[in-house]
Amino acid sequence: MKTTGILGGFYKKATLALLTSLIFLIISGAYTSGASALLQTGSQAPDFALRDLDGKEVALSHYSQQKAVVIFFWATWSANSPKALKRFENFRKKYKDRGIEIIAVNADNQAVSSGDVEKIRDLVKSAGVTFPVLIDRGLQTFRDYEVIALPSTVVVVEGKISYVLPGFPLVATEELFDYLSTLAGDKPVSKTDGGYKPKHDAIADANLAKGFVRKEKFALAYPLYKKAIEKDPKYMLPYVELSRLYCLEGRLQDAEETLRGALKVEPEHPAVVSELGNVLIKEKKIKEAIELLAKVVKEESYTPAVYYYAYALSQDGLLGEAFAVFEKAIRLNPFDPAIYKLRGEVLENNRMTKEAIADYKKSLELLMKYRD
Amino acid sequence: MSGLIPRFPCARPLSFRKSRDGAVTLVFFTSLIVIFFVYAQAFAGAPEREKAAQLLKSAAKFNGEGETDRAIAAVEEAIILTPDQAEAREQLGTLLLKKKLFDDASRAFNEALKINPNMRSAKTGIGLALIGKGDLAGAEAALKNALTLNPYPAMTHYALGLLYQKMNNDEKALLHFKEGLRTYKEGKK
Repeated sequence: MKTTGILGGFYKKATLALLTSLIFLIISGAYTSGASALLQTGSQAPDFALRDLDGKEVALSHYSQQKAVVIFFWATWSANSPKALKRFENFRKKYKDRGIEIIAVNADNQAVSSGDVEKIRDLVKSAGVTFPVLIDRGLQTFRDYEVIALPSTVVVVEGKISYVLPGFPLVATEELFDYLSTLAGDKPVSKTDGGYKPKHDAIADANLAKGFVRKEKFALAYPLYKKAIEKDPKYMLPYVELSRLYCLEGRLQDAEETLRGALKVEPEHPAVVSELGNVLIKEKKIKEAIELLAKVVKEESYTPAVYYYAYALSQDGLLGEAFAVFEKAIRLNPFDPAIYKLRGEVLENNRMTKEAIADYKKSLELLMKYRD
Repeated sequence: MSGLIPRFPCARPLSFRKSRDGAVTLVFFTSLIVIFFVYAQAFAGAPEREKAAQLLKSAAKFNGEGETDRAIAAVEEAIILTPDQAEAREQLGTLLLKKKLFDDASRAFNEALKINPNMRSAKTGIGLALIGKGDLAGAEAALKNALTLNPYPAMTHYALGLLYQKMNNDEKALLHFKEGLRTYKEGKK
């Protein structure tokens, strides 16, 4: 039956509307999913509304008129957090009224008791902090920002993530403060890549590709990732995602080549180096992986680099050293399920069954608690 | 205009009863009435459903923040508004599990199953409640049954892992925790 006339027009309009909504859903879904930390630059900063130590609600959107908002994720058990809080307080004093707001988000644990709040209050008091300190009960914000180490700093400019610093490493921290003082109006002390913004069409292609990967339509994702790389070779996310896709399909050589291509553009990018380390481990190039990852682990607080390094050490027979490095990864981010999964594998391979069970269980609990 | 839009009977009053158009018109108006009643029923409880959905969302938030009692209160309110929603009863069961109220949790899961007999998560919940009560054989049967409903249930594998850990069966515990991780990774909970 031909659908002509009024109904034919109606069907055409309905189909068009449906397609438009689908495209919108694909794009918006992809945008909200977020990328791995460090690769998030340029993406929309997820809004949040959390309560401070006195129960007052503070939302990121309250600061939309500011030049920049610094979101500092921290924990009382992290050795670098008090140091970082003091540093941010000094920055705030120096650059007061320059349009840079600082918000500290405590991510001590999923559930926070009144005793925990007192502990946080004491630490905040001793660090002399005067900016808002919020408690991320349920760790939803921690999860939304895909924080990979505690402490971690995220800078938001005009609603978008412009800078991410996992940990509080010496050199990179100085670069972060240089970037912040530049935002506040000072002349840049050193050249930083904090101002880098990936090209919009590259972000769009990468996000569409991610949508296809989620739907297991890999053939559609490959060309989009490649297009994103062509459109913006400095945008590291599509390299990493493309390499993961290659790994998923067992194309380890292609994954390695992709990541090596990325390193030609950004030779020391921790996320790319970590991913390459992981690929090398899968290719059984253990010595090479250890050599590569050791540099990142030494200089950066990038948790995946640390646990891949630990895993590589275990594959090289250096068990004692491997377990010590796994502990370091846990200290950086005790909420990362990948650490326990990998350590579980090492324990299982070394016939420490009970310990392996405990680690696998923990990994699964973390996945279900934080992803559900 | 012909075909899909029936001709209105007034257009040909004399031949209306006997013609094929008459039959088409009858079917058309009957369909309209049926559609009207279906929609009326669907929208009758819409505000309640909307409010219940908001309450369930709040409950999930409270639960995430460790405020289990507030979460339970919100879910119970949602159940009063929409007693036919299996998901709300399943959510209540999960919260009661957290409070170690295993009998109440079982009751909530069973009510969810009365509404949706294929609700895998409720069957897993019953298994978890039985583990809590120490009925390990019963839990094993319930969880194995839950497993048959979906070949990729991470939560059910998790519960089986817990069960075999309690039974000191390390081999099976390891297998199920690993299987839980694998199936979760595949995104097929």
